[in-house]
Amino acid sequence: MTAEQYLAARLRQALAEDPRTTELGVRVTVRGDHVLLSGDVASPGRRAELEAVIHDVAPELTVLDDVKVVPSDAPVGREELR
Amino acid sequence: MIRIAAVGDVHLGEDARGRMRPALDQLGEQADVLLLAGDLTRHGTVAEARVVADEFGGLAVPVVAVLGNHDHHDERSDEVIAVLRDGGITVLEGETATVGVDGHTLGVAGVKGFGGGFAGKCGSAFGEQEMKAFIRHTTEIADSLRAALDGLDTDVKVALTHYAPVPDTLRGEPPEIYPFLGSYLLGEAIDSTGTHLAVHGHAHFGVEHGMTPGGVRVRNVAQPVIRSAYTVYCVEPAVVEV
Repeated sequence: MTAEQYLAARLRQALAEDPRTTELGVRVTVRGDHVLLSGDVASPGRRAELEAVIHDVAPELTVLDDVKVVPSDAPVGREELR
Repeated sequence: MIRIAAVGDVHLGEDARGRMRPALDQLGEQADVLLLAGDLTRHGTVAEARVVADEFGGLAVPVVAVLGNHDHHDERSDEVIAVLRDGGITVLEGETATVGVDGHTLGVAGVKGFGGGFAGKCGSAFGEQEMKAFIRHTTEIADSLRAALDGLDTDVKVALTHYAPVPDTLRGEPPEIYPFLGSYLLGEAIDSTGTHLAVHGHAHFGVEHGMTPGGVRVRNVAQPVIRSAYTVYCVEPAVVEV
């Protein structure tokens, strides 16, 4: 468990600081041989970059990728502040 | 009625060019102004700023922005600001912008903001130089936000920041990192200046709705929170009481 926490912290730091990703908005959860990524990125290519950085730091882990590309459609409705 | 569109944390780069434009091309039918709440780029490079200027340039409504921490990463914020301004975007850091809408005026005061934490759970300008510099950066920015809001004499006043002025809109983020996500000093500036609405970004896992201790509505418009190209808040100047 302790080792998993340190590994998750290293992976999070890599995603934040590696120029390929610089993502602070992606959650990293390590369970045994698996790492779960979740959150949102701005383009489809960035999901692949996340996996590449994770693989460089911890090639032994299987990546479960729940990351989504953030929707960029016009909003439905609006909020009236009264 | 003043219709305020807002979005933050769009994190544009060449790979995301054009993704938002179809929605933005319709913006004039939905809103009177667009506020950008920082983290417009991924790394704060001049090339990414050009993508932002192209994406948000030439819209049917005025665009008013602040920078976020990502926009400072490449340490070229002056050049980033120049590119955005060349693209017709008004960039605020301690300044204000005023927009006229149907005979009423909307004033926007903008700063990046910074961390430090929230009342009772925050850092102090004490001890190591690094700690004092951290808190002083927040204090200086909050002071400039207060001065900018104070200087506005408009029907509606909006505070635009990247960092959060309240913890309400951070719910969903780990509480341990709240001191890196915002500062109560921003909220205090908002509460002391007759401000009607505060808009921020930065907290991707937070929630949209919050309120300052003084009862001012706060909206987290980080794109992963609002899950659209922008969101629209309508304010009726005549019915707003301060």
